[in-house]
Amino acid sequence: MSEATRHESQTAAAAEPGWSRHGTGTASSPNAGAKPAGNRMKRPPGLWRTGMNKFRRNPYAMTGLVVLLIFIGLAVFARAIAPYDPARIDLLNADAPPGTGNHLLGTDELGRDIWSRLLVSGQVSLTVGFAVAFVSVLIGTLVGAVSGYFGGWIDACLMRLVDVMNAVPLLFLNILILAIFGSKFSYMILILAFTSWMGVARLVRGTFLQLREMQYVEAARAIGVSNTGIIVRHLLRNATVPIIVTATLMVGGAILSESALSYLGLGIQSPDTSWGLMLSNAQEFMLLDPLQALYPGMCILIVVLAVNFVGDGIRDALDPRKQAAGARRRWRAWSRYSK
Amino acid sequence: MTEYLIRRFIQSLFVMFLISIVTFALIHAAPGGPTKIFLSPGLSQEAAKVQAHNLGLDRPLPEQYVKWLGNLIQGDLGYTFKNHLPVADILWPTVGHTIVLMGTAWFLSMLIAIPWGIYNSTKEYGWSDQSASFISYIGFAMPTFWFGILLQELFALKLDWLPLSDMWTIEKEGQIGDLLLHLVLPVSVLTLGFLAGYVKYARTSMLEVLEQDYIRTARAKGVRESRVIYRHALRNALIPIITIIGLDLPILVSGAALTENVFNWPGMGRLFVEMALAREYSVLMAITIVTAVLVIIGNFIADLLYALVDPRVQLGRKGGTAA
Repeated sequence: MSEATRHESQTAAAAEPGWSRHGTGTASSPNAGAKPAGNRMKRPPGLWRTGMNKFRRNPYAMTGLVVLLIFIGLAVFARAIAPYDPARIDLLNADAPPGTGNHLLGTDELGRDIWSRLLVSGQVSLTVGFAVAFVSVLIGTLVGAVSGYFGGWIDACLMRLVDVMNAVPLLFLNILILAIFGSKFSYMILILAFTSWMGVARLVRGTFLQLREMQYVEAARAIGVSNTGIIVRHLLRNATVPIIVTATLMVGGAILSESALSYLGLGIQSPDTSWGLMLSNAQEFMLLDPLQALYPGMCILIVVLAVNFVGDGIRDALDPRKQAAGARRRWRAWSRYSK
Repeated sequence: MTEYLIRRFIQSLFVMFLISIVTFALIHAAPGGPTKIFLSPGLSQEAAKVQAHNLGLDRPLPEQYVKWLGNLIQGDLGYTFKNHLPVADILWPTVGHTIVLMGTAWFLSMLIAIPWGIYNSTKEYGWSDQSASFISYIGFAMPTFWFGILLQELFALKLDWLPLSDMWTIEKEGQIGDLLLHLVLPVSVLTLGFLAGYVKYARTSMLEVLEQDYIRTARAKGVRESRVIYRHALRNALIPIITIIGLDLPILVSGAALTENVFNWPGMGRLFVEMALAREYSVLMAITIVTAVLVIIGNFIADLLYALVDPRVQLGRKGGTAA
């Protein structure tokens, strides 16, 4: 395939995002493979291939991805890389400045190695970020799918639930639940997920409401496909792209929320560590050691920035119509969790 | 219109009712139940029974709920567990403090964001527009409290220009100048976050207007560019900008737990965290309910304003625009 034709077909596919999915049986439907080999040359690349190429050409997204992968790598091997046990107290070497002995970034007020603590904290924060995004997308998709597909009183009930969740100040609700049930790592993931699924639910419901009246759905129903079959195979697949985009955009928000809760003393508890907890520690000792506050905050900023760039890149690559949605959602997340 | 109002009102009441049930259920679902929460630790079995009876904790749950809700509606928010102070006395002053802080930040960010966003829409992708994008990326990715801590370290500790925290210096309580000095740092933290959203809002709605046919007509007639922008476009763009920002009205009352904690601001958010760490459940329940009610009222007012400012909006069709 020459460079020129490839480019042409890409722009054609980009102009009509998702056109090959459940369209009117155009070239890339599953039957296309049966066509003569000559025709395959003209077969336009699918949604994913086009998206990947677009993503690769986006410098912000690629930088974000590389940075994110570095952080993930550091987090996965945190225990192996960390030169010291992050919880090891060494009062003789407390408050060492950066570069003393083996302490790359110095030590905190209890003599714990800051570099080791940063690494292990990264593990915690990234786990929370991805786990929360995953669970809340799961909940949101389920609620949205049931609500949008069945409609009627089920829909009305579930949407009132969404209203209630939206009216409760979520940071307060999280604090309340953590205060009542105690701050455990697993609780925090569940609680953050249970308070952030509403966006996904609305989105999936909207797509379903729009699509369930389509003729191909009617046809599927006519030939006796079960409700679950229609939901999973015919409706959910059309909502995949916005769901993926929302999920990526959610990771950053979850990392910020975790750091906020830990900072307030209701998230991760000592001797475990997280960037938010390190910051709350650093604030207490900021007269003694102002640098301590710098590192964990920088880590959060860089990771969240990288995740957001990747999220925006995925959105631009797969769903270019939804340009403004990311900024709006992020603003909403900010006004809920980060003020 | 009246029909919509009534429907919306009933809907809000229903949502508030659900929230009260959820809050009540949460407290009662706590491990060990409410008896463990509300009773003093270390009581003998009999004494605990007596105290539970006195507090009405041995009654069936629905009955307790109705009693609690009845008190709540009459403005009785209950008493703190530790010193038996009325919750209302603790809560209401903090609401005022929060509104002072949030209101200032909100107003200031509007004052900056609207002209800036409008300017950016006329010079798309210019340096000013790019720096606004930069600010919104950083603003959304940065932990607010970290920014607060950095500002404290720089301006309060290192340079000693501004007070580190609190709302007043002790001996200067009530002086407006002192309050303003204390406001500078927390307000800058919050304003950065608000700006990150609002500049984009203003820019987008201005760009939408600039695409309209009547703008092209005006340009075609030979109207000066500055007149096109500040006369024809601006007037129409301001409506959606102001209403979108107005829809954020509930933010003012939903507290700024993080900023208040960093700067030790005596607002609702700090009170909530403090009480959560002290396990003062009656205060927590009260704050959750009160903020939820305020948020719902705020939403309601914002929706109304939206319709009043822009007659093209048909209230009946808009449905719920919760927070």
